Amino acid sequence: MRSFLSSNRFTQLRITGFALGLVLMAVSVFGIWTKGLNLGLDFTGGYLTEYSTTAAFKQSDMQGALNKILPDEFQLTMAEGGHHWMVRQADSIDNASKEASSVPWLQLLAKELSDDVLPLDAVYMGSQVGDELIEQGGLALLTALIMILAYVAVRFEWRLALGAVLALFHDVLIVLGVFAWLQVSFDLTVLAAVLAIIGYSLNDSIIVADKLREHMKAKHNNTLDTLINRAISTTMVRTLITSGTTLTTVAAIGFFAGETLFGFALALFVGIAVGTYSSIAISSTLPQLLNMDVDHYHKMNEEQCTLP
Amino acid sequence: MKNSETRSHRLRAFKNTKLHWSQYVVIAVVLLFLTIQALPNFYGFNYQLTLSSTQNSVPLPPIAQVKSKLASNGIIIDSAKNSGEQLQLLLSNKQQVAEAKSLLSQFNDEVFEVNTEQVRNQPTWLHAFGAQPIKLGLDLSGGVLFVLEVDHEKALAELKESQVLMFKQELRQAKLRGVNVELNDKQQIVLTDVAGRNNLPAFVKEQLDSLPLFSVRDSNVLGNVRKIVVDVNEEQANKFRREVMAQSIKTMRGRIEELGITEAVTQQQGKNRIRIELPGVKDPNEAKRIIGATASLAFYQMANGSSFTTKTMRSANGELLRLNATPIFTGNSIEHATNGRDQMGSPSVNLRLDALGGKRMANFTKDNVGNPIVTVYTEYKKNEHNQTIKSSKVINVARISEPLGASFSITNMESASAAHELAMVLRAGSLNAPVTIVKQRTIQATLGEDNIEHGITALAVGLGCTLLFMTVWYRELGLIANGALALNLLSLLGLMSLLPGAVLTLPGIAGLVLTVGMAVDTNVLIFERIKEELRKGRTVGGAIEAGYQNAFTAIFDANLTTMITALILYAIGYGPVKGFALTLSLGILTSLFTGVFVAKVATLTLINPKRNGLLGVK
Repeated sequence: MRSFLSSNRFTQLRITGFALGLVLMAVSVFGIWTKGLNLGLDFTGGYLTEYSTTAAFKQSDMQGALNKILPDEFQLTMAEGGHHWMVRQADSIDNASKEASSVPWLQLLAKELSDDVLPLDAVYMGSQVGDELIEQGGLALLTALIMILAYVAVRFEWRLALGAVLALFHDVLIVLGVFAWLQVSFDLTVLAAVLAIIGYSLNDSIIVADKLREHMKAKHNNTLDTLINRAISTTMVRTLITSGTTLTTVAAIGFFAGETLFGFALALFVGIAVGTYSSIAISSTLPQLLNMDVDHYHKMNEEQCTLP
Repeated sequence: MKNSETRSHRLRAFKNTKLHWSQYVVIAVVLLFLTIQALPNFYGFNYQLTLSSTQNSVPLPPIAQVKSKLASNGIIIDSAKNSGEQLQLLLSNKQQVAEAKSLLSQFNDEVFEVNTEQVRNQPTWLHAFGAQPIKLGLDLSGGVLFVLEVDHEKALAELKESQVLMFKQELRQAKLRGVNVELNDKQQIVLTDVAGRNNLPAFVKEQLDSLPLFSVRDSNVLGNVRKIVVDVNEEQANKFRREVMAQSIKTMRGRIEELGITEAVTQQQGKNRIRIELPGVKDPNEAKRIIGATASLAFYQMANGSSFTTKTMRSANGELLRLNATPIFTGNSIEHATNGRDQMGSPSVNLRLDALGGKRMANFTKDNVGNPIVTVYTEYKKNEHNQTIKSSKVINVARISEPLGASFSITNMESASAAHELAMVLRAGSLNAPVTIVKQRTIQATLGEDNIEHGITALAVGLGCTLLFMTVWYRELGLIANGALALNLLSLLGLMSLLPGAVLTLPGIAGLVLTVGMAVDTNVLIFERIKEELRKGRTVGGAIEAGYQNAFTAIFDANLTTMITALILYAIGYGPVKGFALTLSLGILTSLFTGVFVAKVATLTLINPKRNGLLGVK
């Protein structure tokens, strides 16, 4: 395996992987653009009413019954084979004035369906809150990215820094893309998971970059290509162990912790998986494609040595 | 140059192999301290029932009687205390709490009020260390929910009243005498001029130019009487209502921050309500007092010859005071407030005003040395008909002894706690509209206790797999890493329990998972490095030393960048995001301490440096 990891074929594989990463990013952007994220109540605001019915209904029948009762647009989700229903409505002034009348529409529905409708939960969330949350989250992400880019650029060669940040974008975009394509509800816990992914993704890239820097300082008679492959191969065991153990933990959360944490676990799982991939295929391949100078750190050292 | 670097490196490595005793001391002290802080989290709950009489005339039942009645129903009381006004009983069995409560609320044919509260069942010596368990967020443990109603109609009405005063003052300055200004039964401002002067409309128009909120509704002349009706225009009034809401929410956030709750969620609900979730708060009373406080301050001068409109108030000792109806400045000008004591030792509130307030204060006091200045405290209360009533009282009448600037204090506060609360409320910003609590609820975890249990099971399974893998893969070193990981989680728990503002939420658990990952990563990085050094032909001792040394730059860079993310999230984020950032950044600190420092000392202590081969490398 070690010999393969330092061969030319591995370099080709890495460059193919880089291209694949770009394609995946494009697919994700396309998904986010066309389908959009299925933002949870945390972000959009609105009303969420949960109720159950004694008899099972078809989705289309329930939709038809609700169309007659509810004046505004709504989203209907079915669970437990037509017994458990969730209705989401937007936050509007109309609805706010009828806040108290939310029970009557369930009664109207019971009459319409001639069945018992049992209210389970009614949540209201103001829409401004969501806007604020999105604004704040976005601002935090952006500031973090800029600061990290600055730090990594100071500590490492700028092309290495750019590679790490591209890998970061790659990971976050793909997670968002998966949520867009699968239309899994994107709520606050998922946002937290995305923030966690930023930490992980960067971690992986920096470990490889650090090793590459070390190799570049030590051996200048090798090509950059060989050094990158060597950096990846020496960190490979570490990358696999760390990602493997964390993925196991996250999988356990997804498996045992139930539906509330499903989105969270999904985001972390996808993020860590593609994060591992991107630290190999993207963060160290980009500097190579941008023609990073193999003697960069030697030149720096010489400059430092000329100082008294 | 390269040579000397390696030599000094070896020299350092050689030196460090011999551990200094102080390293053990540092580790022992830090771990002991954090373990004590973490300990309260492992104790269960007791349940405290508080019995108080609903009417003052009914005495509390004697303890022995209560005990025997409960005992006859199979309920065991751990301890009981009579504090005069309340009877406090401690139960350990959760199942019996509800039954005990129903038995006590109708005791000896008298109705009593019974409140239940959870109390940590920890030994008293832990209290001595001030150790507190970690606070759980509303999503994990439940907490207190408030729904507040903001009465912007009242605020609007008050605005109209002050506009009436304004008109009167300006009319006087414009020398338009004999114009009557009042509010009619539709709450519209009506200016009536029996002299029917033609310049009144122009005057009103000029006045309203700078006040987009008001507009002229009607202007007519009937015989000699000219009437102008001024009212708020609806579009502007809506804007005003929105502004009042935004300001109220901002004030509430300020107050909650003053209370030191970081994970609070404050949001608008419907048109005129504010929903406040206070996770981890078990006793709603303090929060209720601060959040529900509508206290505001205003400073008045005594009425004199030049005053046109006045109001009469009674001072604390019953003396009647005639005040100028318009205050010199109001609580809105207060920039900062702290509580303290004056030279006489009585409680006081020290204020600092903003530029505008400071200027007004300076101007006023310069011209009024020797005159009194009156501090009026106003709050809103609900009367028995559920109407909001404004109640004002004079808390201080002070003679101005010298010109004052932007900083001064209000002395003669009735108690230190009153001073503390007033300072807190003033600091967080005053409310322009009365706010009343319309709903208060102590809610159950949204996740449900089952879900938390599942979450912990999941983490435990994941963690178990990780520990098992580390042992199989790295053998002795793996065990050391596992020990470090366990200490890491314990330290993190201790550190989070130590910080008063830290609350563990669902997003916080994300930070915890990430911490476990980072901690494992730190050890893996070091062990892989040790392997590498062994392959280069170093001795076991040298390889361990070099492994810890050389892996450090990578670990440092990786952790520092994550720390940057965490700190920015902490600074910018709000609520749940902040909780996540806190867990993450504390986790980085503890994993650096345990993963690098503790694990290194443990490795050097436990692994014989002269042995042959380690990690499968000979």
